Amino acid sequence: MDPILVKILYALLTLFIVLNYGLLIQGIVPKIGARVGRRHGIPFYQAYLDIIKNYSKRTRVTHGIMFYIGPVFRLTGGIGLLMFMPVIFGSNMFQNFSFTGDLLLVLYFQFFGVLGMALGAAESGHPHSAIGVSRGLSQTTAFEFPLTLGVLSLAVQYQTLNISDIVAAQQGGFMHWSIMTNPLAAAAMLIAFLGAMGRAPFDVVLAPQEIPIGPPTEYQSGLLGVLQLNRAIFPIAKLILFMNLLFGGATSWPELFLKTFLIYMWSVFVGVVFPRFRVDHSVRWFLGVPLLIGILAIIVTKFF
Amino acid sequence: MVNPIYIVAVLLGVAFTSGFFSKKGKNIAGYLSMLALGFVSFVSLQWLHGFLSEQQAAAQIFTTAFKPPFSINLLMGKEEAVFTSLINIMGLIGGLYLFRKLKETGSNAFIALLLLIMGLNVIVMTRDLFNLFVFMEISSIAIAGLIILSQNVKSISSGFKYMLAGGLISGMLLLGTVFLYYFTGTLNIDGMLQQNLNLVKGSSVAVFLVITAIVLELKPFPANGWGVDVYEGADAGISALISSAYATASVYVFMKLIPVASEQFQFLIAAIGIITFVASNLMGLRQSNPNRLLGYSSISQIGLLMAIIGLSSVIGESTNFIVISILVSHYFAKAGLFWISGIIKTNSIRDWSVLRHSKILLVSFGIFIFALVGLPPFPSFFGKWELIMNLSGSHNFIWVTAILVGSFLEAAYMFRWLGYAIKLELPSEIKPVIKLNKIIPVILFAASVITAGYFTGMNHEYGKLINYIPLAFALAFVLIEFLPVFIKNTLAIAGLALYFYLNYQSYTDISRIFAAIFLLGGILTLLAGYAYKGKRLGFFPFALMMFAGLIGLIEAKSTLEFFYAWELMTIGSYFLIIRGKKSITHALSYMLFSIGGAYLIMAGLGIASIGKADLTLSILHQVTEYAPLVFILLAVGFMTKTASIGLHIWLPGAHAEAEADVSPMVSAILLKAGVFGLLILLMAMGEQFIGKVSIPYLLSWVGALTALMGNMMAAFQEDAKKLLAYSSIGALGYAVFGLSLMSHLGWLTAISFSITHFMLKALLFLAIGGVVWRLKTKDMYKMGGLIKRMPFSFFSVLIGIIVLAGVPPLTGFSGKWLFYQAVMEKQWFLQGAVLFFSGIIAFLYCFRLIHAIFLGQLKDEHRNVKEAPFWILVPQYILLAVLLGFSFLPGSMLKPIGNMLLPFLPDGAIHWNGQLATTVYGYWNGKTVMIIIVGIFSVVFGWLWFMNRKARKIKQFNIVYAAERPFRPETTHFAYNFFAPYKKAIGFLVAPGITNFWNRIDEGAHAVSDKFTKLYNGNGQTYLIHIVAFIVVIYLISFGGF
Amino acid sequence: MEKIGIEQISLAFGFIILMLGLWGILSRKNIIKIVLSFTLFDTGLNIIIVAIGYLKNKTAPILDSAELQTDTASKIVDPLPQALVLTSIVIGLGVTSLLLVYALKLYKEKKSLFINDYKDLKW
Repeated sequence: MDPILVKILYALLTLFIVLNYGLLIQGIVPKIGARVGRRHGIPFYQAYLDIIKNYSKRTRVTHGIMFYIGPVFRLTGGIGLLMFMPVIFGSNMFQNFSFTGDLLLVLYFQFFGVLGMALGAAESGHPHSAIGVSRGLSQTTAFEFPLTLGVLSLAVQYQTLNISDIVAAQQGGFMHWSIMTNPLAAAAMLIAFLGAMGRAPFDVVLAPQEIPIGPPTEYQSGLLGVLQLNRAIFPIAKLILFMNLLFGGATSWPELFLKTFLIYMWSVFVGVVFPRFRVDHSVRWFLGVPLLIGILAIIVTKFF
Repeated sequence: MVNPIYIVAVLLGVAFTSGFFSKKGKNIAGYLSMLALGFVSFVSLQWLHGFLSEQQAAAQIFTTAFKPPFSINLLMGKEEAVFTSLINIMGLIGGLYLFRKLKETGSNAFIALLLLIMGLNVIVMTRDLFNLFVFMEISSIAIAGLIILSQNVKSISSGFKYMLAGGLISGMLLLGTVFLYYFTGTLNIDGMLQQNLNLVKGSSVAVFLVITAIVLELKPFPANGWGVDVYEGADAGISALISSAYATASVYVFMKLIPVASEQFQFLIAAIGIITFVASNLMGLRQSNPNRLLGYSSISQIGLLMAIIGLSSVIGESTNFIVISILVSHYFAKAGLFWISGIIKTNSIRDWSVLRHSKILLVSFGIFIFALVGLPPFPSFFGKWELIMNLSGSHNFIWVTAILVGSFLEAAYMFRWLGYAIKLELPSEIKPVIKLNKIIPVILFAASVITAGYFTGMNHEYGKLINYIPLAFALAFVLIEFLPVFIKNTLAIAGLALYFYLNYQSYTDISRIFAAIFLLGGILTLLAGYAYKGKRLGFFPFALMMFAGLIGLIEAKSTLEFFYAWELMTIGSYFLIIRGKKSITHALSYMLFSIGGAYLIMAGLGIASIGKADLTLSILHQVTEYAPLVFILLAVGFMTKTASIGLHIWLPGAHAEAEADVSPMVSAILLKAGVFGLLILLMAMGEQFIGKVSIPYLLSWVGALTALMGNMMAAFQEDAKKLLAYSSIGALGYAVFGLSLMSHLGWLTAISFSITHFMLKALLFLAIGGVVWRLKTKDMYKMGGLIKRMPFSFFSVLIGIIVLAGVPPLTGFSGKWLFYQAVMEKQWFLQGAVLFFSGIIAFLYCFRLIHAIFLGQLKDEHRNVKEAPFWILVPQYILLAVLLGFSFLPGSMLKPIGNMLLPFLPDGAIHWNGQLATTVYGYWNGKTVMIIIVGIFSVVFGWLWFMNRKARKIKQFNIVYAAERPFRPETTHFAYNFFAPYKKAIGFLVAPGITNFWNRIDEGAHAVSDKFTKLYNGNGQTYLIHIVAFIVVIYLISFGGF
Repeated sequence: MEKIGIEQISLAFGFIILMLGLWGILSRKNIIKIVLSFTLFDTGLNIIIVAIGYLKNKTAPILDSAELQTDTASKIVDPLPQALVLTSIVIGLGVTSLLLVYALKLYKEKKSLFINDYKDLKW
């Protein structure tokens, strides 16, 4: 078979696994939360139900072309992010299209979906969407700063921007993981990660508990369905990125599930413990201690 | 040759004859006087011609049968020919200007004029000290007689002060003369020069008296209150005579006598001159009366000449060239300005907007201002250049600094004035009466100063190498201004295209890239100009002048050519910027930063020329002394154009207020001149150090902070064009950073970034310009929802911001990717992180730009706006095509640039395999990224389309609104203060600290100016005390009292 | 020490008058007095000029007697300063008269001869 075709098929397989994993996590995590709180909670397959519901709605409206393709941008961003990363270390099957660009491509491609979605939401003309975008972008700029410093610190440490090489350098036991070898960078990145996941205390952008405020306010039916697909894929892609950079990557799917689940739970725990930040607070917060840690990480790796 | 004695004889004869004409005959007296002045002008010009064609030897004219020292002799040499020509022409043209006024008074007035000119001629030609004194007295009496023609208290009291001061000074001159005679036994200047006066005991006091008297005639600071008052009080035509004829003669007298003085005394006088120059220009800052302002300016110019002549031992043989070129500019310009002032008769420079009633006067006014400030192609440009080259070439940095500071101050008030004339509202009550006899002199002198500039250039070693064709092409458009835009635009585009076609092969590699940005960019932006109707007066000459300057930068072989081109570009762009609606202050600050920067460049080039035989640009390769200083001066100079942090405050307003197609010109194209300058600087000089700190390292921080500040400011703008302008500042920060890396990757980043920025900023400014064109507002919150009305502009902006933000797969990402590889290689991570942060902030303003304008709620008043004009869209879509092409095949752009860099930075560091780029650190394949993303996008879109094809389009207000309904589009469109939380969090970072800093400097200068001018309290007696005090202080300094 | 001769005395006298004139120029407030001080200043100057040209034991440079026809230069005082002084006096006259004209005109404008009243132009 044509090698390109094979690649595409494998990529689709990755996508399929990640999608289902993401959808399940979306059900399981609230379920755990509910059980901890002695409630019954939603079924673990709730996310599937939501998607089916949205695709089968009969009322479908659109505000215009940008509104329509906004979710397409969003999902392309999510899938693309996954596709540009090697998922399973040492496996030819699950390298996806990582041959086409390095860590920088991945870092920057994150914004593809964000920007497209923001544009789509903005065309709806709903002020809440625009407010959400304003908050989201503001917060993003803030947490990206320590994140980048951390990533740069890693790049300095390993002298490469190639994700596969970074993962390769961490093999051989957990003492070789970046989180152990470069704790400062890891700290900066893991704090930034909280912002990137958009959970409490940094969840004012989507404000999930309130009346719908945030970019998706006007979205419904299939358009919302596309967004929900992305909501399953995108966080997992980010988790995989962090796993690759800090926790030695994964050599098999079970390892990947375990590691990403634990990383995910980090943001969940923090979210449960801490109340929500307002955006101006979170911006200041990210540009405070986390930023200093990031700078320190750079200095330490460069000079020591 | 007509014997010069006839100059004296004819003037004197006609003056006597005129005395016989009664009141009725005053017409005859007038015509006769004009005839006489015409004749003497002819005589001196004939001599000048003789000297210039080098057939003529200097001629001695003896007045009696005895030879000197027993008789008075006159000398007609080359300098004398120049100076008498200037004086006589001024007499003729100035007399023409004053003709009506003189006629009103009668033949006596003509006699005074003739005697003045006669006296000045003798002053110039005589070689006898006492004779000099006599004719100086005659001239000043004649001037006093002319001043009193205007019978008002200002004029009379100023004349009286003039007489008092003149009496004191001439007394001193006479005393000195007699003592000199006592010690030397001769009154002949040549005789005195032959004796070494410093050896004769006591003679130094005599020399001191004579020279100080002559210096006082030149109105040194602070003993010059009487002079300023006369310039203000006298009729403008008389002031013109004083400033252009009398001062010219005095300067020559000074030149003639200064060799008598010891070298130390010459330096002392030079110091007085320079203090006068700086102080008078400083005091000029606060002037609002045009004549008084011109007075200060006159005094300052003469002070400068005093300094130059005093420094002649340092400057060497080019002193005469410098003096004459600066003097000639001053002569034409000051006479012209006084004359214009006399025509429009206002008491405030703010009323000079009345000049707009007469285009020709306005143009002349501009010419005179540029000539005074010393911009090309006027004589003083070459003079100042030569002066700075010589002084800095001989390590006289303090003098250079003082001269440049003074010149800068002068430029400040002169351009403020020009701005008033061009932009302020027309005062309704003043309407100047323009008489032919008054306007002809102005036009004549304006034309002459241009011609003089050409000749000065031709007489300069490097000036004659300058390629004047582009400038001539630009100026030719002045002659066809009456044609409609369509024709002129086509001609302009054809001109640029032809020039590029003919020359692009002669440019070396990197120059070719910039030539393409400048010329092809010029063509693209000019295409948008077809959208304009009518004649668009004053646009084409200056736009083309800017392009002429830009291309001159590339073609420059010598430092002078480079500097000439740099200034030309500044002039052109200044006029483009000032075309904008509210751009009066922005154009001024643009000009001031440009001129300041240009002076730094000039000083830098001067210091670089130390010890060099020639002045080709290659001297920068071999700077041996003060290399770090040269580097810093040039870099800061170039960074005024790249608007780096601290030097950026001119940019936002200037770019934002400009017209739809001017903004892209000045933003996308002009700023690259600074990048080009930095590039050639770094290529030539490499890395320089201050102590152990590498200057490029400092530069990298400048770049990073500029980017941060620019982008952050952009995020908080409400004005769409201002947003783009700040974004340009930020983008140029990236370019500066890239250059500062001094590595192959860094430069590749910088250059490719410059190209990309050129395209995307042209695209965005044109698109937004088109929107503003239709909506008549630049405030984004007043727009909204325009995607429905202007889909084509929307698409431009969409692609523009994706490229700008650097999001893959479009070509903006290539810049970001390269940038990181370069940072990794250089290990400047902290700056890199700051730049990354700025890059993220770019998302904020990118989104805001497109959201607030095109998305959100459409306002009722915009429901019927049309798409932007066709011709504004055309260049946008050409740019879009190129941008998308580069996105798909980034290697096709980057690889050739990399190859061009190889000779300078051989370490290739980046390897290409098809479209796959690899460095030590990472890899990236633009083409496959594009294919993958397009692939995923299509599939997802197809899926959505399949699932949701029946989606119904709904109306604007049909939104989920919490059980209520939106009130109006204005209240529903969320756009004002869009990033409020962000501003709350870190808005303190964008407090206008730098603007305040410059404002405080401005206020400080004005306050000092105010304090200084209080010295001149208007009391004639105080002025006399100043004079006496001046004499005493100079005496004490030169004879060791201090 | 040599005896103080007429040339030193007149030189000193000239300077005194000159200084007196200068003092008057700088201190008097009445315009007419200033103009008069100017003439004093000029007079002092002229005396100085003549004094400089004087040489001891020499006669006037009028070459009428036969004795003076030979070796002239050593027998006469320097004629030039005396010629100069004539010119200087004439010029002084011109300047003084013009100053007085100005004083007259000023008086017509403001009916005042107080120099501090004429500060219309300043700063």
